[in-house]
Amino acid sequence: MPYSIKDTILYVENLSVAYDGKVIIKDINFTEKDIHREDVVTGQVIAILGRSGRGKSTLFKALTGLVKPTSGQVLIRDIKNSTETDIKAKMVEEGDVGFVDQKYTLFRNKTILQALKFALRTSNLSEAEKQSKIETYIKEWGLEKVKNQYPNELSGGQRQRTAVIEQIFSSGNYMIMDEPFSGLDVGNVEDVKRSIHKIGEDHTLNTVIFSTHDIELAVSLADSIYVIGYPTINGKLENYGTIVGHFDLKAMHIAWQKFGASHLQLVEQIKTLMLNS
Amino acid sequence: MFKKLITPLEKLKAPFNLYIIVFWLLMVLGVWFAATSGQKHLIPSPAQVFKGFSDLFAEGLVTHVGSSLALCFQSVLYSIIVSLIVVYLSPLPLLKPLAAMISKFRYLPLTGITYYFTVFFQTARGMQIAVLVVFMSTFFITSLLSVIKDIPNEEFDHARTLKCSRWETLWEVIVKGRLDYVFDVLRQNLAIVWMMIVTVESILVAEGGLGVLIKNNDKFMNHGKIFALQIVILILGLLIDVFLNFCRKSLFRYSKF
Repeated sequence: MPYSIKDTILYVENLSVAYDGKVIIKDINFTEKDIHREDVVTGQVIAILGRSGRGKSTLFKALTGLVKPTSGQVLIRDIKNSTETDIKAKMVEEGDVGFVDQKYTLFRNKTILQALKFALRTSNLSEAEKQSKIETYIKEWGLEKVKNQYPNELSGGQRQRTAVIEQIFSSGNYMIMDEPFSGLDVGNVEDVKRSIHKIGEDHTLNTVIFSTHDIELAVSLADSIYVIGYPTINGKLENYGTIVGHFDLKAMHIAWQKFGASHLQLVEQIKTLMLNS
Repeated sequence: MFKKLITPLEKLKAPFNLYIIVFWLLMVLGVWFAATSGQKHLIPSPAQVFKGFSDLFAEGLVTHVGSSLALCFQSVLYSIIVSLIVVYLSPLPLLKPLAAMISKFRYLPLTGITYYFTVFFQTARGMQIAVLVVFMSTFFITSLLSVIKDIPNEEFDHARTLKCSRWETLWEVIVKGRLDYVFDVLRQNLAIVWMMIVTVESILVAEGGLGVLIKNNDKFMNHGKIFALQIVILILGLLIDVFLNFCRKSLFRYSKF
């Protein structure tokens, strides 16, 4: 499927994070660019795969600005101060990148309506515009019947959709989802897949980064996959996480395609890489 | 059926659970009647307790209950305000050790310290309230600190990803997000409050109250009245417990623990 590569939207350079002297992730480098396809609004869908304890959650916390890197930097597009001809970058800060954790955490004391209002509290929109935006999203994401309910009165899928909208309202174009498919039934998995597609279809700059243990699901959804694992240096397996493999599904001509033999081949390749790291 | 009654983790149908409660109530009453039916008995008989009730009413039980409830209400109000201020400020690194230290003071005994309260407070009521506020606060602070400690990190991260400042995070996650727990902490610690009220009232008899009644009757070994008072205190405590639970569930629909 033809596509063109535009400007950089995410730049991660020499990123390392250590807790109390213990290095969790080290020397992580990658760049993601804005992808354009003719007649189709296409955001970026990036999957991060890796075995448990390899530092995926730590990487996510660093990408969202929730954890300060020990060294290195994460740069994202400074959307407020950029123009079409003059793209500016900024260091990521808390709130710049949306983050939906595995449990779809929400404010336990706010209904969906209250939570979405809160997420828009810093927006420059007028009260009427905010209300209209909330109503549009609630309708489009199938939450109309439960808009006055609290998180503990919602199903897993409803919580997940609320958490995603909340982050879209607050953070803009970047969204990280930590194991969004974990523990979901087949219906809810489809819900999450639809959410990811929907975010991508909303704006070309929208970028979803997610982690999962389901390699097939990652290969079928993402257009770029990074494998995080323990690197082998001089024949010795180190015990910190870093990027051990990158698969650009666009360049491989299998992005946005129906799952087929080439995808299965990639699944096997990724599996082997993960087992060795 | 009997086998089910003594099988661990066995679930019985609704009416059977009620029958078991009724059975135990009848058993307790039966043992009470049986144990006090002879000439000599250690505990007062139901008739003595019943007489104790009517005597207490004649002595102004309602006024004393009112006095104890007023003392309880005032002390709990001041105590919870003090405790909430200390606990809500405990996430500040500077004040964290202070909150933890106050919590440890719950091991201090009341005796010996009351002297200092008499120096500072002119009225008996003022002193009673001060003693209760200080000691109850140590228990409230302990429970409230534990509520904060149990908040999952994800909730703080969630607030931060929504561009909440640190103060806003504290307000949304700790203060507003756990307001229903304050009612539960109150409910759980109320037993200690009642125990202390009786002790404090019996130290300073001038203001009256259930503690005074117990102390006076204890001096005359009037066990019928003492038992009647214990029952009054138990019922009052349980009613307050039910009321607080009702308030929590009515005010906070999402509070389902």
